[in-house]
Amino acid sequence: MPSVLKGNFKTEKTVEVHDVVDDSIEQRFEKEALKHLGGSVCFVAKKQVDWGSEKDDGSKKDSD
Amino acid sequence: MTEGDFGLQLLERMNELTLLRHGGTCFKNAEENRQHIKKGESLVQLRKLSKNSAIGSGASAIIIAAGPSVRKQDPASQIRASGYQGAVICTDSATSYCLRSGLIPDLIVSVDPQPSIIRWFGDPELSRSEVEANDYFRRQDLDERFIGKDEIQANDELLELVDLHGKKLRIALSTTTHPQVVQRCLECGAQVYFFNAMHDDPDQEGSITSKLQQENGLPAVNAGGNVGTLCWVMATAVLGKNPVALTGIDLGYYEDTPLQRTQYYDAIRSLVNEEEVGRFFMKIHNPHLDQTFITDPAYHWYRDAFLQMVLDEPSETWNCTEGGILFGKGISFRPLAEFLSKFEAMGEALPERKGAA
Repeated sequence: MPSVLKGNFKTEKTVEVHDVVDDSIEQRFEKEALKHLGGSVCFVAKKQVDWGSEKDDGSKKDSD
Repeated sequence: MTEGDFGLQLLERMNELTLLRHGGTCFKNAEENRQHIKKGESLVQLRKLSKNSAIGSGASAIIIAAGPSVRKQDPASQIRASGYQGAVICTDSATSYCLRSGLIPDLIVSVDPQPSIIRWFGDPELSRSEVEANDYFRRQDLDERFIGKDEIQANDELLELVDLHGKKLRIALSTTTHPQVVQRCLECGAQVYFFNAMHDDPDQEGSITSKLQQENGLPAVNAGGNVGTLCWVMATAVLGKNPVALTGIDLGYYEDTPLQRTQYYDAIRSLVNEEEVGRFFMKIHNPHLDQTFITDPAYHWYRDAFLQMVLDEPSETWNCTEGGILFGKGISFRPLAEFLSKFEAMGEALPERKGAA
């Protein structure tokens, strides 16, 4: 690619070109198709409610 | 090739796949919904109402979801006939069933981010061409009145029913719900209570959930993967109800259900050919009913999440679905009639429950 693209100016800093490792078409297809099998919403294996700073008993931060 | 082997492989990736599936839409919705949040209340207010005994009489609650057992067990009719006065909490998908059965739920819960969710409340913009192009709702094993003889007519009836009872409804809505759904809920006159659905651990650095909370100041609730489990979280951790009965939470299908009539069939067919579809579906024998049910990776994941969450929950959980795959440690699997008679016997019930029809 660098041998094909030639600019008509010089950059101030040296630009490092990394080869982009992209998913194959099959992998992308699989990822796209699999995501339709996901659930409705996430599950967080920790607490049920994080009331943030708004808990009704006046406490600043709590969780149930 | 083994039946269910792909399904079991996918179980470990379900949270990742869920984020892939909905993550982008969720955050876009949350951004657009900022303007609507001030038109409702925070979930904190709902908790306060419950503490003041304004949501159902007594300590118990019944959840109604829209699983295939609802058609067979008809929990709304059982609840009405018993005179049960405790809190009734339903999923958005069970709103039509409840209202058409003459039962006004004390709380409706909605969390999914897709615009199609509006159908559960009646879609004011539903067109004939849209109905013809999308058979999703026709393929589901729902209360048959939701589709009716004519889907447009059934939608019109639901629109009227929701509008008629709107002012008596309380709806808990995730900020990541589609803005059209939020608008529909607000416009029907319901009291809306907003919360953030948890996407990750809010205590972790860089948490998306925590970012949402900082932006809108609302509590974050763990939905356990789906709206049915979220209803249970609302009953126990938000409203403080104990015991809580589940109905319509099958997390699976009756064994004779054609796979084409299951919710992930189309997605699975986009991955494999017809002969391999069975590799995504698993069979689970329910020993309480001595009956086998079919489940898919998403439902199985919801089951695993629920069984994990129920162990940390002090409230007693009865599964009165009388079908499906949700059984295990921490869950009493019993008929709804037993739950109703027990809590009537304890003097919780009054002669007539308010009706919607």
